[in-house]
Amino acid sequence: MEKTQKFLIYRNPGNGTVRYDRFEVPIEKGMDVLDALFYIQDHLDSTLAFRYACRGAVCGSCGMTINKVPMLACKTQILSINDIIEPIDKFIKNKNIEFVYGEVPSWDKKHEILIEPAPNMRVIKDLVVDLEIFWKHFREIGPHFTREWNYKQPESKQTPEQMERIERYVYCILCGLCWACPINNKNPNYLGPAQLAKASRFIYDSRIQQKQRESIISRVMKEDGVPSCERFFICNQVCPKNVMPGTAINMELRKDFVNQNEKS
Amino acid sequence: MRLEEFDAVIVGAGLSGLRAGLELSEKYNTAIISKVYPVRSHSINAQGGINAALGNLEEGKQDSPRTHAYDTVKGADFLADQNIAMLMCEEAPKTVLEFESMGTPFSRLENGLINQRPFGGAGFPRTCFAGDRTGHALLHTLFEQCVRFNVRFFNEYFLIDLLKVENNVTGLIALDIRNGELVIFRASYVILATGGFGRIYKRSTNSVINTGDGVGAAFRIGVPMEDCEFVQFHPTTLFGSNILITEGARGEGGLLYNNKHERFMSKYAPEAMELAPRDIVARAIDTEVLEGNAFEDEYVNLDLTHLGADLINKKLPGIREISMHFAGIDPIEEPIPIQPGQHYSMGGIATKYKGDVGETDLNGLWVLGECSCLSVHGANRLGGNSLLETAVFGRIIGKKLKERGLAKSFSKSMLKEVEERAFNKVEQLFSKWQNNEGKKPVEIRDEMGTIMNSNVGVFRNEKDMEVALDTIRRLQKDFKEVHVDTSDRKFNYGLIRTLELRSMLDIAEVTAYAALWRKESRGAHYRDDFNKRDDKNFLVHSIVSREKDGQLVLKTKPVILGIFEVKEREY
Repeated sequence: MEKTQKFLIYRNPGNGTVRYDRFEVPIEKGMDVLDALFYIQDHLDSTLAFRYACRGAVCGSCGMTINKVPMLACKTQILSINDIIEPIDKFIKNKNIEFVYGEVPSWDKKHEILIEPAPNMRVIKDLVVDLEIFWKHFREIGPHFTREWNYKQPESKQTPEQMERIERYVYCILCGLCWACPINNKNPNYLGPAQLAKASRFIYDSRIQQKQRESIISRVMKEDGVPSCERFFICNQVCPKNVMPGTAINMELRKDFVNQNEKS
Repeated sequence: MRLEEFDAVIVGAGLSGLRAGLELSEKYNTAIISKVYPVRSHSINAQGGINAALGNLEEGKQDSPRTHAYDTVKGADFLADQNIAMLMCEEAPKTVLEFESMGTPFSRLENGLINQRPFGGAGFPRTCFAGDRTGHALLHTLFEQCVRFNVRFFNEYFLIDLLKVENNVTGLIALDIRNGELVIFRASYVILATGGFGRIYKRSTNSVINTGDGVGAAFRIGVPMEDCEFVQFHPTTLFGSNILITEGARGEGGLLYNNKHERFMSKYAPEAMELAPRDIVARAIDTEVLEGNAFEDEYVNLDLTHLGADLINKKLPGIREISMHFAGIDPIEEPIPIQPGQHYSMGGIATKYKGDVGETDLNGLWVLGECSCLSVHGANRLGGNSLLETAVFGRIIGKKLKERGLAKSFSKSMLKEVEERAFNKVEQLFSKWQNNEGKKPVEIRDEMGTIMNSNVGVFRNEKDMEVALDTIRRLQKDFKEVHVDTSDRKFNYGLIRTLELRSMLDIAEVTAYAALWRKESRGAHYRDDFNKRDDKNFLVHSIVSREKDGQLVLKTKPVILGIFEVKEREY
């Protein structure tokens, strides 16, 4: 007999009415949640809306909440879903956090995978959320070099150690899952964990111009930046790329600059 | 019908589109439209690196742009336009330096200079890299510079069709995915940078969004496709999911083994071994599979275990992560199961013979990156040259268009007439799809991908390809009756994927058609029934367009030679 998996999926046409639909999907080894969503869209309901692109956990499109845990759909293997989700679920529950999108009808946790949108963002349709505020905050930190473009050898130097210093933050994929942070929930002005990790990528880059570094530092040390973090460390737990924004905020930015800002 | 007016509109926000956008925004009122947020573009997936003869390593001191160009042309099995390949390689060092100054976090040597690794088909260690996530590093860098210079984006807009008056492009019609509205973008220049179209194949390393929207739109308005028979199959994609395992893994010393624990590459490329060009390694692996030397009859092993944890964690962390998450294998402990999969499209939108680089036969329409055929990769692209192509030609084409200035526009009434016609045509198409009672798009898409994989793949022959062409043509007919719900257009990905399929069917048909015509073996195009290169008859580009009656017609375009002598390819 063909093996199948049941899904319970949040639906919202964008007019405020929320419902949960049930689907049953044939599964095989190696299938992830994104594959299942494609199956549903292709065969059962073409109007089911979700974002996607690379299906290889590098583009950051398919962030959503799976069994109450923020995850990338493409990186969540169906057959080993409990192993992947349980440790994070435990961490979140220990912090007394729950992501609520609507009244879930009787959810058979053992047999159904529950799919809901990414947390703390406005739903546009089904699993698609409005990321404009996420990008607005990204732009606001001034996330870029301001050097003149150079065309002559040699390039500006950087040692392997200096590059490794920022490497963890460089590879943030801007998926937005870290906005599961309770601070993002209560304060729409909070810059957000990904944005602060991105800021660290620039602040600690040995090559950036001092003026730009200072400008980024002064932006992220404002009240709605680093000082707003209350050390829930949900961001570190849900980050699919091990960027550790919470560590950047607390072990680096707060340590290095909080006093400096008080002085000024 | 909403109207947006710009001097220049770029379609696609990968490396090509962003680099052109940075350039054009300096002078023109410019918009970049993209069906995804820029950092979701497929460039993000690139792993191994970007080639430039910087000579940063001791072993690379003798390297030069000319040697790089020769390797490129030889790798291309001499089908590349040599002047364009030369231009790209001469501009390569500048391009890497430019990225560095923009902030790209390249991997470094102890002396602080950019590190370089050996890559397939290259005479020197020439490939600059940022770990094994070079595409991520470069794409974020360009996006950051776009933020710096306030480049204007229209994110989540889908290109449906191009518009023209006489032989001049006048803009395009797009779907605003967020609200389902049809939008006209009016512009003197349209630059297509829509990327590859690997999704015409079932087994591909490409993102799900790589569907050739720009190629399809250009083709429908009369701009031909060039060299589409040349499809690169990457030798090392993860068995099952076909996620890319970078050539850099072999560049760093990874070895290929069959089920008899033989380093089988010794039979196919005794000198270059694992670092022969991709077409040769892909054929070698598939030959091993056919001869019963594969594991479970389907895959061979890429072994990195001897490289040690430190090197793997430092230089190939992404590969380790992919192997663990998608195959449950830690490459520090075990070899990675791999098989060839579609990876790159050497062909694409045809460019004007002896025109400026990127120029097409439709005035005002310019193309670059993987959607185009410039032609710099000929019959087989070398690893590390695709990232290079995007940024080099983004800059060059941007500068060229700034020099050229804006053409005189047509009267408002002429533009309006074309725009309204396009609008009505799309509305009719959507309501037809709503009312149709035929197949679902997925049935057509799956059958297309399967037949392209099995019959127009690594090894080809006349009979198989005729079956493929017949199948695609039957699917074209089925597509006329395709049904999809278009009643709610807001974030209707069912509709988007049907629009994508519309282009992919044309591209699949042209690919099979041109591959049937090319009765020789060259680069990635290998025919069992014509297994030799035939320079006398086929040292030409194929140019395929559709006649008014719906039939395909193939013309040829000379290859630009004159710098390097055309020779037999040996590795």
